[in-house]
Amino acid sequence: MTAVARPVVAAPEPWDFPLARTHDLPNGLRLLTYDVPGQYVLSLRLGLPVSLRDEPRDREGVATIMARSLDEGTQRWSAEEFARLLERKGVSFGAGIADAGLSLDLDVVKGNLEPALDLLRQILTEPAFPETEVARQVRTRLAEIDQERAVPAARAGLEFVRTLYAAEDRSSRPTGGSRATVAPITRDDVAAFHEEHVVAAGVTMVVAGDLAGLDVPELVATALGGWGSGGRERARFLDRRAMLASDRSRIVLVSRPGSVQTEIMVGAPGPDRSVDGGWAPYPVLGFVLGGSPTARVDAVLREEKGYTYGIRSSFRPRRAGGLFLTSGSVRADSTAESLRLLVELLESGAAGFSDKEIRSGVDFISKTAPGRYATADAIADEAVGMALDGRTTEFVTSNLRDLRTVDAPRVDAAYARFAAGAGIGDGSRPGAGWTIALVGDADAHLEAIRDLGLGEVSVVRDDQG
Amino acid sequence: MTAISYPLVERTLANGLRVIVSEDHTAPNVAVNLWVGVGSRHESPGRTGLAHLFEHLMFQGSRNVRSGEHFSALMDEGARLNATTWFDRTNYFETVPTGALELALWLEADRHGHLLDAVTQENLDNQRDVVKEEKRQRYDNVPYGSALIDIYATVFPEDHPYHHPTIGSMEDLDAATLEDVHAFYRSHYGPNNSVLTLVGDISPDKGFAAAEKYFGQLPSIELPTRPRHAQLPPIEGPLRVDRVGEVPNDRLYVAFRLPVDATPDYLACQVAVDVLGGLTSSRLMHRLVRTDETAVAVGGWTMGLVDGVGLGAFTVDVSAGADPDGVEQALCEEIESFVAEGPDEAELESVIADTERSWLSALASIEERADHISHHALLTGDPDYVNTYVERLRRVGADDARAAAAVWLDPGSRAVVRYLSDTSGRDEEGEAA
Repeated sequence: MTAVARPVVAAPEPWDFPLARTHDLPNGLRLLTYDVPGQYVLSLRLGLPVSLRDEPRDREGVATIMARSLDEGTQRWSAEEFARLLERKGVSFGAGIADAGLSLDLDVVKGNLEPALDLLRQILTEPAFPETEVARQVRTRLAEIDQERAVPAARAGLEFVRTLYAAEDRSSRPTGGSRATVAPITRDDVAAFHEEHVVAAGVTMVVAGDLAGLDVPELVATALGGWGSGGRERARFLDRRAMLASDRSRIVLVSRPGSVQTEIMVGAPGPDRSVDGGWAPYPVLGFVLGGSPTARVDAVLREEKGYTYGIRSSFRPRRAGGLFLTSGSVRADSTAESLRLLVELLESGAAGFSDKEIRSGVDFISKTAPGRYATADAIADEAVGMALDGRTTEFVTSNLRDLRTVDAPRVDAAYARFAAGAGIGDGSRPGAGWTIALVGDADAHLEAIRDLGLGEVSVVRDDQG
Repeated sequence: MTAISYPLVERTLANGLRVIVSEDHTAPNVAVNLWVGVGSRHESPGRTGLAHLFEHLMFQGSRNVRSGEHFSALMDEGARLNATTWFDRTNYFETVPTGALELALWLEADRHGHLLDAVTQENLDNQRDVVKEEKRQRYDNVPYGSALIDIYATVFPEDHPYHHPTIGSMEDLDAATLEDVHAFYRSHYGPNNSVLTLVGDISPDKGFAAAEKYFGQLPSIELPTRPRHAQLPPIEGPLRVDRVGEVPNDRLYVAFRLPVDATPDYLACQVAVDVLGGLTSSRLMHRLVRTDETAVAVGGWTMGLVDGVGLGAFTVDVSAGADPDGVEQALCEEIESFVAEGPDEAELESVIADTERSWLSALASIEERADHISHHALLTGDPDYVNTYVERLRRVGADDARAAAAVWLDPGSRAVVRYLSDTSGRDEEGEAA
């Protein structure tokens, strides 16, 4: 048998994100359409610049309950009738709120776009928020709060934001609200929040898919042209930076007696897309540190030590400021050793990156782009995300161009800028600048974690039962 | 209805490798998807978990590829890749820029033909540790994480290949030796036990030529000859397992044996399960969540399998304070009335419309399309299933769904796995018929 020679790879052609057509409606709704031949399921997305900060402090979660109740009955139809109407047209619908704003997702086969738009009109402009349905969504959210507390990754996330962000900042508290603020939410709270915030001004709508033979702007204008603007101007994106806690650089250990693994979340404030020196180096940095099975973190913690199934890092930009976040779980008896290694690996960026590492990151991110953005839903998700970030998908294209020029010195500089901004490696102590949340057996690991000297360690014990 | 017809051209190489090419030039990418006819159903007692451990070892190097190089070489060229193991098969896949297709095939052929040159005790020990962490993360350290394992063990008889989960037993993994690993590879990994699907920016002629160039020289293997098991009858039940403590809310899984995948009876069961619990407007949603308010969420799902049985289940998240026995009783009543009256027109229309959209969404990406093509080529023998599935489902009549439910979803044949949050007044953990 003769061996076949290893083939040489031909470099791919440069690629640009698909171009949008933009149509502005008089009520403030901006429609972006992306024609993607062969994508028979159309993806519709709406991004509303609605802020979690607009929730009353004692009703946090009302935006989430409102989003989940939008299709639970309209002026004309009961919740069950409306669910059946959506399903008979094969419409999937969902809505939710996050830091960047309120998002509505609707997928439908091409042939049913027109009836789907009429159902969307009713969702946006005629929701009835029946008392029983809102009460049910409240009960569901309360059960979900119990689940979030029980799932280690979710529990770590809750403790992480509580430690990182200032107590008075909305970002420090659960997006969907806590038991005390969700339980009293009524249909009137929900209806009032809807009336004030679910208006057309400043809203971006995306329709992506195979649009041949469809006059999407006309169909959208017919369905949503009558949606009230709210009688005011509204910017298309939210633009306020979250406040950090002054004592954010510390370790919090959530006690889970007998845990067979410890969940680890390590993070620090990071840049947004307008950072000096450009955004392009940061995804590369995240990739090389902990973004893949071949990254620095998994090379040691998974492939060398066998402590974990996998740990992942990424930069997560918001409109103003952002996060660098690393998370995963490790074998319980390796907790302290894993944490020590993890912080060491994350801080290893200060010593610089090799050309080979950076080439790998640049190549992976740039060459995967055509495939990552090949489907209607991926295009629509990216477009609405960019809109809520105050950008268009032209940013994706220009960033990909800039990415091709990223080299090791630029990434070294990007790491230095991130570390300086977060207070990492400031010489005061190892671990300075990081916020660390752990969920695991506190009694078994507390001493060893303290002995690492990575910062003050406190233990949180949830009420059992 | 959206008529779809993805082109499929198939050829079998002299060594038995089935190659299917589906041309689609909308993106400059090709999805490479290999299904190997080995999964946890092929494992023997005392050797469970081997198929999955094996999948991990396939990334640790082969004759001409260093440990980890499969990932790094492909990612450097812009590939997104991974592998998964299931009861009936193991799949390996990457989506690559068109120019990297041949590299992907070269790397795949090297590990599918010459893995054992590179398997070492060190690799085996390391990946065994990684798999243990995978099990702890996915099953042991999350609420309800072991529910599926309990369902398989309850629904399928002890000597049946689906009785044990793909993740396997950690004791068995500890006992696995390098010799076991070698024997497993030699028995199952060969071109005549595999399907290679290429979807995307490639013509059939070029795809077949590339497959021949890189895989053509791999020798076929002697395949085990065990025929698939005969169809298992419904459970003589009910069977019941309770797990008490360590969960935030009570959850019920009410499971049934089903016919094997892709048969008309399986599709009829799928319609029945959707109408009862799968749709947003399902009967269980109406009864338990909206009317009785004894549940906060319900679901219904089916799992298509090929070795003599399938699986279907309803899941119910019981409302705080509601009685799980009463919820189970109400669920059984809903099944019984479905069996008595069958679905109505609006329910059937909803199932079809909902399935069509989700099926077309799944096929929208070349990687998922390739996966479904490989699936049906290997396991049901009909890769064109991707084009005909919705139409097959549409042909299920109200009476078919009713009749299938009468046989397969009879409450007397249910297996109930309960995860209960409160120990007061309940039996300790254990199984009872």
